[in-house]
Amino acid sequence: MNYTINRNESHSFTLVALFAALMAVMGLIPKIDLPFGVPITLQSLATMLAGCLLGARRGFQSVALFLLAVAVGLPLLAGGRGGIGVFMSPSAGYLLGYPVAALVAGMVMRVLPRATAWQTGVSAFVASVVGGVFVLHMMGIAGLVLVANMDIMKAVWVDLAFVPGDLVKCVLCGLIVHTVSKAMPDWRFGGH
Amino acid sequence: MGSLYSEHLTWLHRWSAGVKLWSMALLGSGIFWVDGLVPLAVAAVFCWGLLCSIWQAMRAMRGLLTSLALAALLVAGFHALWGHWEVGVTSALRLACAACLGMALTVTTRSSDLIDVLEQLLRPAQWLGLHPERISVQLALMLRFTEHFFVQWNKLDQTYRLRTGQSGGRHLLAPLIVQLLQTSRRVADALFLRLGP
Repeated sequence: MNYTINRNESHSFTLVALFAALMAVMGLIPKIDLPFGVPITLQSLATMLAGCLLGARRGFQSVALFLLAVAVGLPLLAGGRGGIGVFMSPSAGYLLGYPVAALVAGMVMRVLPRATAWQTGVSAFVASVVGGVFVLHMMGIAGLVLVANMDIMKAVWVDLAFVPGDLVKCVLCGLIVHTVSKAMPDWRFGGH
Repeated sequence: MGSLYSEHLTWLHRWSAGVKLWSMALLGSGIFWVDGLVPLAVAAVFCWGLLCSIWQAMRAMRGLLTSLALAALLVAGFHALWGHWEVGVTSALRLACAACLGMALTVTTRSSDLIDVLEQLLRPAQWLGLHPERISVQLALMLRFTEHFFVQWNKLDQTYRLRTGQSGGRHLLAPLIVQLLQTSRRVADALFLRLGP
């Protein structure tokens, strides 16, 4: 490498790579059972967390880096899937929506209050709902319409089945951010 | 971490990554541009022939192939349910063809070769102040820490299990992320010392 980086750049550079690693780890962890026995996979939760913890730009970059690793053939998606082929499946809209979801979650997190741990947690919940549910599912529906050739209403009905699980992940995201906020009070949420 | 690349050499391994990537982009665009059952059926036969010709290298992809077949069947079935079986078959064929091309590229091309092609493609972005060479460093860092954090997760899980007799699950997410953020500060400092001005 024939370039130099300043302290801020090195921090961003590392955070982006390490959070992409976290997304990969969340694909390796088996499904987690929530109370009432509801199983969830964690990669979309990692997308919400990337936006809330790293901010819009770095969140977007880290999720995009993870998808790049998937595209070049690393089996990092849940179930050991990977390669360019996964971007041509009906779930392509959701995959390509991950970085956009992180971007939007980060942007929303940036404008919401974060004065106390509880406020930060609630803000993270709201940011996750907007980015990780609303935007991600819009992109997923667009993918179903374009790739699977569904008409939009049918795609919405198919998509609605995944919304309750993702709302549970938003609650989990809020709780995790609340805990992180208490453990690391100096952390700059939303990329501030 | 292993990649989906297959060491079992086939005729497609001899093609350069750039040629394969461009061919896939052209054929993939063609599949989405072509309409009608017959041309897509011909394309499907071609793609299936391609996969059969490199079948020995497809071992790691057979699971994905099964889930692709299921997804294609679901799409076709869903459309058939609404009385549009022709649209269903067309969509399923298009989807299967595009995914087969992607799989053929993945199993016959090393990840590092694809990253090289990507860096070349992104080189013009240097004019905008971007550093394409950083991508491979970040990917290396990511892979190094994927293993690290997976080990950390397992350690946290074992500790939780010892204390409570149950798997940690969601209770371990926050501690894992706090560890990640703390590690990122240490790694950033090390990187700054190595690459700083």
